[in-house]
Amino acid sequence: MKLAELQTRWARCLLEGGSDPAVLDLLADPPEQRERRLAVYRNNVRHALASVLEAAFPVVRQLIGAECFTAAMLAFVARHPPGQPVLYGYGDRLPAFLAEFSPLAQPLPWLSDIARLEWARNEALFAAEEEPLTPARLAAVPPAELPGLGVRLHPSARLLESIWPVHAIWDAHQAGGGAVDAVDLDRAESVLIWRQAGAVRQRLLTPGESALLVSFAADRPLAEAVETAAGRDSRFDFPAALARLLDAGVLVGPGRETGLQLRADSDGGIADELTAGRMRGSR
Amino acid sequence: MPQTRNRAALPPQAGIGLRHPHLPAFLAAPQPAAWLEVHSENYLAPGGPRAAALERLRGDYPLSCHGVALSLGSARGLDRAHLARLRALYDRLEPALISEHLAWSVTPGGVFLADLLPLPYTQETFETLAANIDLAHDVLGRRLLIENPSAYARFREADWDEAEFLTELTRRTGCGLLLDVNNLYVSAANQGGDPKAPLERLPLAAVEEIHIAGHARVTVAGGELLIDDHGSAVAGPVWELLAAALARTGPKPVLVEWDTDIPALPVLLAQAERAERYLREASDEAG
Repeated sequence: MKLAELQTRWARCLLEGGSDPAVLDLLADPPEQRERRLAVYRNNVRHALASVLEAAFPVVRQLIGAECFTAAMLAFVARHPPGQPVLYGYGDRLPAFLAEFSPLAQPLPWLSDIARLEWARNEALFAAEEEPLTPARLAAVPPAELPGLGVRLHPSARLLESIWPVHAIWDAHQAGGGAVDAVDLDRAESVLIWRQAGAVRQRLLTPGESALLVSFAADRPLAEAVETAAGRDSRFDFPAALARLLDAGVLVGPGRETGLQLRADSDGGIADELTAGRMRGSR
Repeated sequence: MPQTRNRAALPPQAGIGLRHPHLPAFLAAPQPAAWLEVHSENYLAPGGPRAAALERLRGDYPLSCHGVALSLGSARGLDRAHLARLRALYDRLEPALISEHLAWSVTPGGVFLADLLPLPYTQETFETLAANIDLAHDVLGRRLLIENPSAYARFREADWDEAEFLTELTRRTGCGLLLDVNNLYVSAANQGGDPKAPLERLPLAAVEEIHIAGHARVTVAGGELLIDDHGSAVAGPVWELLAAALARTGPKPVLVEWDTDIPALPVLLAQAERAERYLREASDEAG
């Protein structure tokens, strides 16, 4: 058997769990041991991929239980094995898979959105770093340039809109989080996920904040973004929202080191040594 | 055959893997590790705390980058995008050594199987590996060390045994050998053989790095298999095999691998200290 065919058949045995007499026949080991020896490789692959998915979706796992999670992951791995040789990106298709996996999707219609939330957290963790916009840098922008200012979101920022209270459900499954019983399933939520000082963070957004951030993500200039937000949400308070967002380190400004005069006392968003080193060459 | 650009060579001493649970200790203070190993694929993300931590630490320790996913044994050839990303990573990290495995993980259809899968030691496999290693050498601009695998199954069709195959491969491509002593032990146990026997016939002059690790035992109908799980302390017979290897290679950088059920850092450093004693013995004997 040519090497390419061997590898294709071997992979099928590992992912689909079946047996292939043509493959077993190639082995030199005693015939009665061949299945079990092949199974070692099968278990290695399953364990490696299950570990990645367990690490990326801990709340999904808590919600459906370890056994059910394992069964669902085996089905997912067989249907959607990794197409890339790096695993930090593996699991991006799990939310869609859960939405269509009727044994879970019917009783737990919000499960897929929890998976979306957890995937967004995973993406935030591994996103590129960029120096956040600071109050000092913003204050240094000439007033005439403010309305047209192009504020952007940190590369780790993710916005999640759900008809389900995904943040509340997620929070109820964290140590010290809210009570599961207190979660009102009739609430829709907007959630911001981002990374700050090396840790993934998330919080609820008001309708105005959500609209503001969507505008920034779409490269709308500052004045337009504020107007859109105010139009969407009569209670939108831009100065308060801006202060919270700057504090979170989730905004980045145009021009980076060029075009903005830094004031001598600016200590900026260099919040922690872990994020100070920009990943040269990673962008 | 490319020159290896060394920023700081690995000393012929014991090293450990830089693992997530130990990052706070490493970031807080220098640790008594002579050198550090990382898995290349864990550092290919655009950012994140792990990448940031390595950027902080890599100036303080000589570094070895161990790849697990280049899939040198793939019949379909190498993933060019992955090769380019590795090149960029190695240009940035400037490791003293880089390595991969005598195995395959990527199918002809491009599916990545997240394990090191076995190869028949045939002419076709040899040509596939030689071509893939040549390409990797070209693109990475550095000499690769190839690690001998742990075997759970063996193919009937073979033009060489593993030791001969590796000898021919190093001769043909100029690659080096990463001698995994635990894998020698596990493979010999799983296939019935003397673990010391390959030491007579492996291309030991090409060894630039040695690995030792723990393994697990699983019961199989009709017997036992050892699994190379890197999840425990190094077993007694593996230490003995290390001594036998060092007697032939002389002192080399020795890595203590412990990747699952990771213990507290002092436990891992104690394993490294034990490896250091074997290295000192080998040095005394050589000197």
